Amino acid sequence: MRGLSDPRKARVEALGNWFTYVQDNLEFILEELVNHLQIVAISVGVATVVAVLLGAWAQSRPIVRALALSITGIFLTIPSLALFALFIPLFGIGNRPAIVALVLYGLLPILRNTVTGLDSVSPAVVESARGMGMSPRQQLLKVRLPLAFPVVMAGIRVSTLLIVGLTAIAVLVGGDGLGSFIQDGLTRNGFPNAGNAVVVGVVFTVALGLVLDAVLATVQRVFTPRGLLV
Amino acid sequence: MTGVFSSSLGWVRNRTPVSTTPPEGFSPDPRRRNAAELIDRWGLWIAPVLIAGLAGLLALYHRSLDLESAVMQQRSALSWSGKLWPQTLQHLEIAAYSTLLVIVIAIPLGVLLTRPAFRRVAPTLMTVANSGQAFPAYGLLVGGLFLLGNGTATVVYCLALFALLPVLRNTMVGLDGVDRSVIEAGRGMGMTRRLVLTRIELPLAVPVILAGVRTAMVLNIGMATLAFLIGGGALGITISSGLKLNQDPVLIVGAVMVAIVALTFDWLGAMAERYLRPRGL
Amino acid sequence: MSPEPKIHLDRVGKTYPGTKIPAVEDLTLDVHEGEILVLVGPSGCGKSTTLRLINRMIEPSNGRILLDGEDVTKVNPDKLRRRIGYVIQQIGLFPHQTIAQNIATVPKMLGWEKERITEQVESLLTTVGLDPDQYRDRFPKELSGGQAQRVGVARALGADPDIMLMDEPFGAIDPITRDRLQNEFLRLQEELHKTIVFVTHDIDEAIKMGDRIAILGDRSTIRQIDTPERILAYPVDDFVDDFIGTGSTIKGLNFLKVSSLKQTDYPSISDADPCATGVAKLDEAGLEWLVLVDAQRRPLRWLHRDELAKSPASYDDLGEDVGDLLNSDDSLFHALELMVQSAAGQSVVVDKHGAFAGVVEMSHLNKAIRRAQYEARLHYEEMEANA
Repeated sequence: MRGLSDPRKARVEALGNWFTYVQDNLEFILEELVNHLQIVAISVGVATVVAVLLGAWAQSRPIVRALALSITGIFLTIPSLALFALFIPLFGIGNRPAIVALVLYGLLPILRNTVTGLDSVSPAVVESARGMGMSPRQQLLKVRLPLAFPVVMAGIRVSTLLIVGLTAIAVLVGGDGLGSFIQDGLTRNGFPNAGNAVVVGVVFTVALGLVLDAVLATVQRVFTPRGLLV
Repeated sequence: MTGVFSSSLGWVRNRTPVSTTPPEGFSPDPRRRNAAELIDRWGLWIAPVLIAGLAGLLALYHRSLDLESAVMQQRSALSWSGKLWPQTLQHLEIAAYSTLLVIVIAIPLGVLLTRPAFRRVAPTLMTVANSGQAFPAYGLLVGGLFLLGNGTATVVYCLALFALLPVLRNTMVGLDGVDRSVIEAGRGMGMTRRLVLTRIELPLAVPVILAGVRTAMVLNIGMATLAFLIGGGALGITISSGLKLNQDPVLIVGAVMVAIVALTFDWLGAMAERYLRPRGL
Repeated sequence: MSPEPKIHLDRVGKTYPGTKIPAVEDLTLDVHEGEILVLVGPSGCGKSTTLRLINRMIEPSNGRILLDGEDVTKVNPDKLRRRIGYVIQQIGLFPHQTIAQNIATVPKMLGWEKERITEQVESLLTTVGLDPDQYRDRFPKELSGGQAQRVGVARALGADPDIMLMDEPFGAIDPITRDRLQNEFLRLQEELHKTIVFVTHDIDEAIKMGDRIAILGDRSTIRQIDTPERILAYPVDDFVDDFIGTGSTIKGLNFLKVSSLKQTDYPSISDADPCATGVAKLDEAGLEWLVLVDAQRRPLRWLHRDELAKSPASYDDLGEDVGDLLNSDDSLFHALELMVQSAAGQSVVVDKHGAFAGVVEMSHLNKAIRRAQYEARLHYEEMEANA
């Protein structure tokens, strides 16, 4: 009995310990959480604007489309720390090189979904919009983009989750965010609360990802044209 | 597969509907269409040229640095035989072992989870796995350090864990994607379940599984850059030295080296995807 | 009649777990050696399930399945299936294997020698009408729908099984190709004499393909099982009557031959005879039209009484075309088709030398159908009396 209950007791104790740590450091945690969220919001926002505009423009231009998808694909292939580091000579250390790199990472999922979303709009619908005398811009804004919206949103969600996770590395190039707790734990390896700090970094990052995804999912559902809902 | 280098990070790619060629009758100009087809066809061969060009530029840049008069630390950090080449080998070693580990674990697991006995738990398991998509690699490595100690082995284990999902998911998706009537026909001819799996399902799922493996490989190469954090070495050391010493040349050489390695292996993965798929598909 | 049925289902049933109503309820069914038995019924009646019970793609919940008198309900299902050819609507060719590899699947599992397999593949491809040299090394995606289904049949014949199960094999093929494949398959069956269970929802296909037809209702209960001609002549109840649909009587004419009619004398004159002879013959028979024949008694044209009454100098420009001619083994359906196009409302029958033998008229068809219906009813009454 004792053999069984001991590790369990230790686990409960560790959990309690962690909660105490969180309570004691709540102020710092919230601060870094906000910083993290800020980096994510800026990166996702810029990536969305760029990728949707690029996607709308490139969708019916095969060469641009192929090039755009390939180049954004290259960004995703380059390891994160390397891409972060490459922007340091240009922007110095801090959040800025991280945000630029994160924007580049976020492009492909949104771009790809914009393009495939626009592809999936039935040609008959576009044809009838044209037949009613809509200009190309009106066709895009009133018909094609609204119909592609759910797919584009799905891409934004993928990018957001990706960027939330990657932002934890920003701390390595002098940025802010929840990664600083992981770094804190690493530098204090062996000292009290090192593990707690790392767990804070990981748990709050994952939680932020889940919350943002849930928010975006709601946005996706609420703003999807009602006729498209199943 | 699109593009000059068909890109990777399949857990991003695989979740989105993939249709890379525009639908019929989309481009009004046949010349542009043809050009796009050419990009598609020759893209796989343009990639190595561009990578080689990047490598050439790096070599020129490396040579142009006046290392003789540079500070000692920079000279040492940028030594090809002393640092960069051994780090590259170490980088590849880490990525290779972790990718192998991923294959050995994720494919059988994927097979198991698509068998009737485990079908029911699979969606739950995938939901749980998916919810951790924002899991920071950095945290995983440091956690591994605390639990398993520092060194290359820990890095390999952590990387394998991190890259498990794309291969697992693709194995399941690939197996589920096999046309039911083909399986029905095989069973109807008296093929045993094992035969159906090995002769029909797995060969037909190869393209999707390969895409997952390529994704895992590129993820692993990317994450191996962080191995230095817990004493695992590899090319991240050069980047980190550049950061610590505030030496841009070191930083740039390290980052570009990593990019070249990643792009090269992504390209090899694309080649494998194209040429290892069973004929007839 | 036959000593032992090739396939015997003995009160076979299937109830899916979690459902109360069985998908197939206590089905007893015999399939005789060398026949094509068609299972036909409305969608959802369980005909496919029934078919899949035979090779145990679906395990029966109760009852026994006997092949050649051997109970196979408990034998290894994989080994059982290797003895039974199986063709499905979606064909299910293995896309990553060549046509030859596809066809060799079962022989390989049975451990045939390489040379024997190669030979078998060649001969099967030839059998289904595909040139081996041209198709052997192709992949399924390089085939048209019709070709793919031929390969599907060849693959099912791979190890020369006695029994074939076919689940709507021609269902997804365009009507013209389907008709050709059906005819080819019937010709093939004349050589192969396989025992075939064939599922379709199309009654016309059933009538065309079946030596016997089983019309299935809910839970795969047999509403009527018999030859197509008897089912058409005597649908046992409203369900069957509705299912075979309107025009079933006329479809039944397909199974009656011209030779089954008693040929009666019909007035004819040769082009050498005078008009008066013709008029006399018509008066005697009380008819309006007679058949003009040549010196070899080959029918030339229909002549009407009014034309003859004018006593023309020659018959050359007179009368109406006789149209196509019937032989004794043509069906009465064909006779009807010709009849409705003929000026005289009758179709002309010739013997095997092409000489005029008589005519078929509406009253003949009427009698023939009524006789077929009477015989079928008698058959069922006898069965009932014996039961």
